[in-house]
Amino acid sequence: MVIPGEITEIVGRRSSGRTSALLACLAGVTRAGGIAALIDSEDALDVESAAHAGVELKRLLWVRCGRVRRQAALRAVDMLARCQGFAVVAWDVGDTPPRLSLALAFRLRLAARQGGAALLIVAPRRIAGAAATLAVEAERRGTRWEGAPPLPARLAGARLGLRVLRSRRGPPAGPESWELLA
Amino acid sequence: MRVACVWVPHFAAVAALRAEPELRHRPVAIVEGVAPARTVVDATDEAWEAGVRPGMPEAEAAARCPGLIARAASGERDVAAREALLALALGTSPRVEDGGPGIVYVDLDGLGALHGDEPAIGERLARHTGRIGLPARLGIAGSRPAALSAARLGRRVSIVRPGEEAATLASAPLELLELAPELGAVLARWGVRTLGDLAELPRAGLVARLGEAGLAAQDLARGVDPGPFRPYASPPFYQEVQGLEWELVSLEQLAAVVRPLLDRLAARLDVAHVAADQLTLGLGLADGSRHERVVDLAYPMAEVGPMLALLRLDLEGHPPRAAIVHVALAARPVRVRAGQGGFWHVPEPAGRELAVVLARLTALVGSANLGSPALVDSHRPDAFALEPFALTPGADIERQAPPGASSRFLALRRLRPAWPATVDTCAGRPVAVSAGPVAGRVLACAGPWRVSGEWWREEAWARDEWDLALSEGTLCRLVLDHRARAWFLDGMYD
Repeated sequence: MVIPGEITEIVGRRSSGRTSALLACLAGVTRAGGIAALIDSEDALDVESAAHAGVELKRLLWVRCGRVRRQAALRAVDMLARCQGFAVVAWDVGDTPPRLSLALAFRLRLAARQGGAALLIVAPRRIAGAAATLAVEAERRGTRWEGAPPLPARLAGARLGLRVLRSRRGPPAGPESWELLA
Repeated sequence: MRVACVWVPHFAAVAALRAEPELRHRPVAIVEGVAPARTVVDATDEAWEAGVRPGMPEAEAAARCPGLIARAASGERDVAAREALLALALGTSPRVEDGGPGIVYVDLDGLGALHGDEPAIGERLARHTGRIGLPARLGIAGSRPAALSAARLGRRVSIVRPGEEAATLASAPLELLELAPELGAVLARWGVRTLGDLAELPRAGLVARLGEAGLAAQDLARGVDPGPFRPYASPPFYQEVQGLEWELVSLEQLAAVVRPLLDRLAARLDVAHVAADQLTLGLGLADGSRHERVVDLAYPMAEVGPMLALLRLDLEGHPPRAAIVHVALAARPVRVRAGQGGFWHVPEPAGRELAVVLARLTALVGSANLGSPALVDSHRPDAFALEPFALTPGADIERQAPPGASSRFLALRRLRPAWPATVDTCAGRPVAVSAGPVAGRVLACAGPWRVSGEWWREEAWARDEWDLALSEGTLCRLVLDHRARAWFLDGMYD
């Protein structure tokens, strides 16, 4: 899903597994020695989850925009996408994505191409339109509990499914569904 | 021992020209005192040729030299120029001595393999002094007084061969020693005109008539070192200052003043082969207070443009509260190790570009919201720290995931702050939840996980955590806070 110089969208509703997919991408990039940036519009990153997912935290630049600085998020994305050397610039839009005009989306793609970074946008719905090279939808296809129902003792994991909504470069490599551990 | 003496004639005047380069080639006098009774303490070559001399009243100097520009003496300015000269010398030799304003002695022993022969070292020092705006004359000899006298002989680089100090300097005028006026007058009455004349006087008679001062003067004339070499240790900061005769009221005006300071600092860093990793800008304000900003550079640098941009961005976020009357800028020098990235290393952001981007992001979201996340040693829920983002060499990265880590991990999305929730319970277990846009019946729940800690502090926590699957599809973490006696939605699994 990480395509240098292009926009990839990971969309999905609440608890669909989109954040888990994002952390998996960040873990892969930082473990390979790359630098990643995460613009967190809603300040939702759980650092413990990121560490468990294998993200090399020292190679992650976390920009916490919070709800009161949502406008700053777009400027931060633009700035970081233009800075050469970042392998991934991820934008976690949160549950209330902003309106992104087509011109702005293509401007972001141009910035990513100039900087060489893969621009990941995580949102509940698609916002980059035709500017996105790849768009996948995450959905939770099941939840695993440990312990006998109806009183399970522990949340054990979930099954994440990925469905390609748009791909200008053919179907992406990788499995269509992952088993996530809690 | 071979010693080079770096001597800057008319040092106070040259230091003023260094601060105001546009005054070069114009007659400038440095004055002190209170107007109209100000007197000249130093003057540039142009003013000197017109007859301006130290000790002269400013009015007389202006009468002798029409168009004379007067500048007030500044101790800070002189100190900055003096430190710049010493730092420059340290870029050539590890052993230098501060000989006073405008005089630096450089130990040349062992430098031949590094910088070449003595003429090459002399040319190097002379060239570097020009680059930092302090054009100097060089003298190289077997002792410090002989090297100073050789420098004052007048050529750009004067070299006295080993053992020929007495013969070379014998014909030099006595004025080279810059003796006290009373002592110089006595020697002039005796008919002593040259260093050779003074060197040949009998020491017993000299000490009987002139005391210790006479002996010290003769030692200087003979080129005898007055004492052991006193190595100079560079201060932890390079500092440049600019006193203002007017008040600055905007950042644009301040930037116009800071840029020359940065130019001078960058030149000093360059000749010393170091870079700055921290800038400290101290502003004296019209209300008598002081405004100080410390800007940490993410990457050691010596380029003026990025440093000025970083200072501007910081000042835009933290402007001074009154007009500015004094500017001081200090840089912390660090050695920069040149290195080449590995062929298989993943490209990283250029340090200078990254520093500017980080500064812009800091201005955008605040320094408390930018950095690398780090886990802390605590059981407190959502405990983390935010560390300054810095590039770590790719080779140092642990390529294998730590034990227990899996890229296929069901992540939690935190709600900061947690959403207050309305919860229906049955036998102590939640059966329905409503929190903001999330509402539904509980299809499955696991818990409670009881966590508490730091009961001895105000920030103690005690809560029960539940993992819930709601009928509307959300998988979330619900918390019963025992201290607040309320339910909260802490996060959502996603």
